[in-house]
Amino acid sequence: MNRLMTSLRDGIGFDTLLIFAALAYLMAFAGLPLIYNIIISFQQVDMFSLGSLFHQAVGFENYAAVFHDPLAWRVLVNTVVFTLASVFFQFTIGFAFALFFNQKFPGATWFRGLFLAGWVMPGLVVGVLWNWLLSGDFGVINYVLLSLGLISEPIFWRSDVDYSLIAVILANIWYGMPFNMILLAVGLAAIPDDLYEAAELDGANAVQRFFTITLPMMRATIGAVLALGIIFTLQQFDLFAAITSGGPAGSSTVAQYWSWQLSFREFDFGRGAVISVIMIIVVLGVSAIYVRSTRAETRL
Amino acid sequence: MKKLTLAAFGASLFASTALADDVTLTMWTESSNAPEAVFATEFSEMDNGITIDVREVRFDDLVAETLRAFATQSNPDIIAIDNPDHAAFASRGAFLDLTPYVEQSDQIDMDNYFDGPRSSLTWDDGVFGIPRASNTIALYYNKDMFRAAGLNPDSPPATWDELYEAAKALTDPDNDVYGIAFSAKASEEGTFQFLPWAQMAGGSFDNINADGVSEALDLWKAFFDEGLTSPDTLTRGQWDSTGTFNGGNAAMAISGPWELGRMASDAQFDWGVTLLPVPEQGAPRASALGDFNLAVFANTENPDAAFSFLEYADSQAERVWPEFTRMPSRKDIELAPTGNEKIDAAAPVFVEQLQYARNRGPHPEWPRISKAIQDAFQSALTGQKGAQEALDDAQGQIDRILN
Repeated sequence: MNRLMTSLRDGIGFDTLLIFAALAYLMAFAGLPLIYNIIISFQQVDMFSLGSLFHQAVGFENYAAVFHDPLAWRVLVNTVVFTLASVFFQFTIGFAFALFFNQKFPGATWFRGLFLAGWVMPGLVVGVLWNWLLSGDFGVINYVLLSLGLISEPIFWRSDVDYSLIAVILANIWYGMPFNMILLAVGLAAIPDDLYEAAELDGANAVQRFFTITLPMMRATIGAVLALGIIFTLQQFDLFAAITSGGPAGSSTVAQYWSWQLSFREFDFGRGAVISVIMIIVVLGVSAIYVRSTRAETRL
Repeated sequence: MKKLTLAAFGASLFASTALADDVTLTMWTESSNAPEAVFATEFSEMDNGITIDVREVRFDDLVAETLRAFATQSNPDIIAIDNPDHAAFASRGAFLDLTPYVEQSDQIDMDNYFDGPRSSLTWDDGVFGIPRASNTIALYYNKDMFRAAGLNPDSPPATWDELYEAAKALTDPDNDVYGIAFSAKASEEGTFQFLPWAQMAGGSFDNINADGVSEALDLWKAFFDEGLTSPDTLTRGQWDSTGTFNGGNAAMAISGPWELGRMASDAQFDWGVTLLPVPEQGAPRASALGDFNLAVFANTENPDAAFSFLEYADSQAERVWPEFTRMPSRKDIELAPTGNEKIDAAAPVFVEQLQYARNRGPHPEWPRISKAIQDAFQSALTGQKGAQEALDDAQGQIDRILN
């Protein structure tokens, strides 16, 4: 008895207690909803059976319906394009800005802080802003492009099936870039200055220093930023709701938006859950990468 | 006069219903400026022991939000709900069957209501609410632009051909003027705007690929392909589209009477309203039937108090036109003059148009039927499918929902 108490106070018992507390929390607030989501993806759940505990099981019917939906292929392509394009540009532009503000010039940290202003705004507000900027008839972006002579007639960003996804990607790059920048800036700041000084003495130029010192030293940070970027991009919903509503004709519908449309516009919660389940599997894969890269970070 | 009826009503209510304790009811509605919200405030201030808390829920979220609340039994007592959504809730027993209340009521007489709104809230012979108001859509047009384009402002387009020709003549890209503004958005608003065109051509929500409907869609597509309407018509709602008309960037607009108040103050030009053009002279007319119904949830603890509010709202139906430019759903009420010349000139047009207004549904699966119709016109207008193909696909989906 005494040994048990000691173990609980400081020892292996205490550690176990902490682990179980965290596990119980995760189970209740993340695990159960996830499991419930998987369950209803195999059930028929509509507007009014939503509240009841048990629903009619339909096997893989919801999955078949989603995969045979004429929109399915388009949504898959859109989701991949949206995610890769957003993450690629958020990361490269964010990295460029991080390197830029890493130079020692007056006000560098100040300006870097200011860049965060966009990121702290709620997604819907950003969406509404871009909605105006991208407007076809009287949008600022069209005005600028027309004035510069880059286009000869206005682009209807939100209403043209060829541009609607690009419109949301543009807004999302702007929205997510500062977050990438700040994480990468933290990574850059962690690289000891004497490494660069030593390399400089050895005659390495800026490009060589970047590829032989900065990039290798940033590997863990980059892995984490990319993984988080993919996860955040797969969660992006507000911009679609505010700018294109997934349209026109589904041309800018991505998986997360489609899931919401099925659940809360058509009230077919089973099919909505199917898409969530598929997305969970993808996100789990990405999370594994994230965990691996942060583990490397602690070893560093 | 208004004060007097109000006081008299309050007194009669106080006498007839013996309410022992003070009761607080909750009501959800799309806007705190809507008639029922204003009436609820007045009703709460009356000495009847009933207070109504009004919560505003965005129109786009109203059904989803209400569903979630109903699933967890945290729904309000009263709701103002868009009429095509009514059947879903009524058919599943979410709303209280008001038949016994209505039979005993001195205020509410179901025979007073137009057939359209009345059928939208009737399910299996039960009465599941009362209409708060009705609306429909018609064609607004800029008379100054008609004159400038050499068109007669006193004979606005009456057929589809005339509408097309007028839109063509009025479109003026150099001055940023489109011929016509409407909404082909992939939402209930788009269905609301497209369905009357399909109905005029002989179709209906359960027969969307009827002969002739593709011509309606072809005409819409011509508006887009020939630049007679803004491409953003695909993604803009009616309120924003009509905003471009008020701003002088569109010469005609299709929308409802809810625009009148804003238009009277914003539009700096001479404008008028006319009936929706028909396919050809003598073709049957059709229009959309819009606006909300008031319903009481079946799980309310105070059905009597809730119903007495519905009676009060019905007793104030005369006010919905002059104060809210919404049209009363009651046949026995004539639209009172508002004092604004243009609005009063529009009134008879909307009254006539309302006679041709048809319900969406009623069907419990309306959102999915509506989605199929939206997919049809959006995929045709963006050139992804031919008009007939798009409508046939929609019909296939609708058949699966109906059977």
